[in-house]
Amino acid sequence: MADRRGLKDRCAIAGVGLSEFGKTPNQSTIGFTLIGIQRAVEDAGLSRDDVDGLLVAMPAMMGEEHGWAARIAALLELSTGFSYTMDIGGATPVAMVQTAAMAIEAGLASVVVCAYGHSESPRGAAFAIPNLEFTMPYGEIGATSVQAHIARRHMHEYGTTSEQLGHVAVSLRHNACLNPSAQMYAKGPISIEDHQKSRWVVEPLHLFDCCVQTNGGGAVVVTSAERARDCARRPVLVSGMGQSHSAEMIEPWPEKQEHRGGVPAGRRCFEMAGLGPADMDLIQLYDGFTILVLTELENYGFCPVGEGGAFVEDGKLQVGGALPCCTAGGLLSEGHLMGMGHLVEGVRQIRGECGERQVEGAETCFVTGYGGAPHTYPVALSYSTLILTR
Amino acid sequence: MAEWPKFKPVPTEDSEPYWEGCAKRELRMQKCHGCGHLRFPPSAVCPRCLSERSEWVRLSGRGRVWSWVVFWQAYYPGYAADVPYNTAIVELEEGPRLHTNITGCDNEDIFIGMPVEAHFEALDEEIVLPKFRPVEGSVKG
Repeated sequence: MADRRGLKDRCAIAGVGLSEFGKTPNQSTIGFTLIGIQRAVEDAGLSRDDVDGLLVAMPAMMGEEHGWAARIAALLELSTGFSYTMDIGGATPVAMVQTAAMAIEAGLASVVVCAYGHSESPRGAAFAIPNLEFTMPYGEIGATSVQAHIARRHMHEYGTTSEQLGHVAVSLRHNACLNPSAQMYAKGPISIEDHQKSRWVVEPLHLFDCCVQTNGGGAVVVTSAERARDCARRPVLVSGMGQSHSAEMIEPWPEKQEHRGGVPAGRRCFEMAGLGPADMDLIQLYDGFTILVLTELENYGFCPVGEGGAFVEDGKLQVGGALPCCTAGGLLSEGHLMGMGHLVEGVRQIRGECGERQVEGAETCFVTGYGGAPHTYPVALSYSTLILTR
Repeated sequence: MAEWPKFKPVPTEDSEPYWEGCAKRELRMQKCHGCGHLRFPPSAVCPRCLSERSEWVRLSGRGRVWSWVVFWQAYYPGYAADVPYNTAIVELEEGPRLHTNITGCDNEDIFIGMPVEAHFEALDEEIVLPKFRPVEGSVKG
């Protein structure tokens, strides 16, 4: 087996940046992406000419757009020697940092910017996904129903309740209310009762089980740990990484069962870092839906499988709780920046820049990404993980 | 003319025999010659043993509800008139799972493990969609 420790602490995130973001678009997809890149490079104390690598997440619903990253690079006249568009959905931001670290370690680049941008396009969603002929004709459409099925099975197998899902929503809203930039900051806190009263979207998921919709962008700058020490901010080391991709909802294949749900992505990440879930000061779990937070807590080893519901009931995911999660509010209440917000928040927490929502003494943070093609069959899901340390 | 028609399956080289079977009111899937695995969705290669050899076999059409959800909003206008509608994943007695709608009972009467059987709904002259309904007597009073 390959020695997975080779990349541990070799690279660091030297800069981070987010555009303004929210429900109303005031920029194009490209505009958001460029603003994120500009801010991340500036934050690192680097200049445009230091950047020699660029990774950009494929925007959702853009159809076939060859050379997306190269087009973004061209608009900034970046002279890159390493550039790819990456497209594993919400697992992309975390995976871009992994790819950047590998490229830097291999000598292909020295400063790699990893960027994301999204703005609702009136051009709509003309895109082709294999096997949608077996789902969409039944009205099985969108990311919500996959998670609704997962929630239904979780409730059936483990007795998980909608109120337990509600605790995730309530805790992450609590965190968002400590973050003036969060989309739901002005809406104020919510209660379990509010969660229960919110309308069904795809039953058994209520509106407050689902993330917000957001236009915005962001980027992070990855460079070698050594070079990062000369940048403007305290470097945040990339100490562990993992990825796994699996077919789900399809009939069980006993020999492959352990490969589902992101289990290998978590195990490999902790192995590389030489750390375990109990060593994490805070976590930024990809939280497109409340049920996803429960299954991640279980599959990444923070609690036994089936016990996620009871695990979150005491409010431990709140800032000030035992396991602060999505401290800026997450996709559920900060904004859906496809996980770029989770990366930026993880870095800012470890730098100690988070003001009222700062987790005291934060030195270790587990960050996850999650994505896939929801209405294909089998459902193909991608999981990506990082451990950030001081 | 409906401005927002529902999605209609477009058969591919892989799936054509499946849809041809549906048009004849038969549920068919590929059985692998290499390992005997019955696979769905259709594919040129067995996902278990990678054999390219397979034959299409007729299934019983019987199974049980493995999961079900109710859409209370339409993600595409063509389905707006159906809201609230269910989508379900049925596990066939031969093993494979497939997405479908449960018909012939109220949404609130569906339960995990409910015995169901396939029936076929013509979308137009070309495409017939398999759906599932409760086996008689399985809807709880």
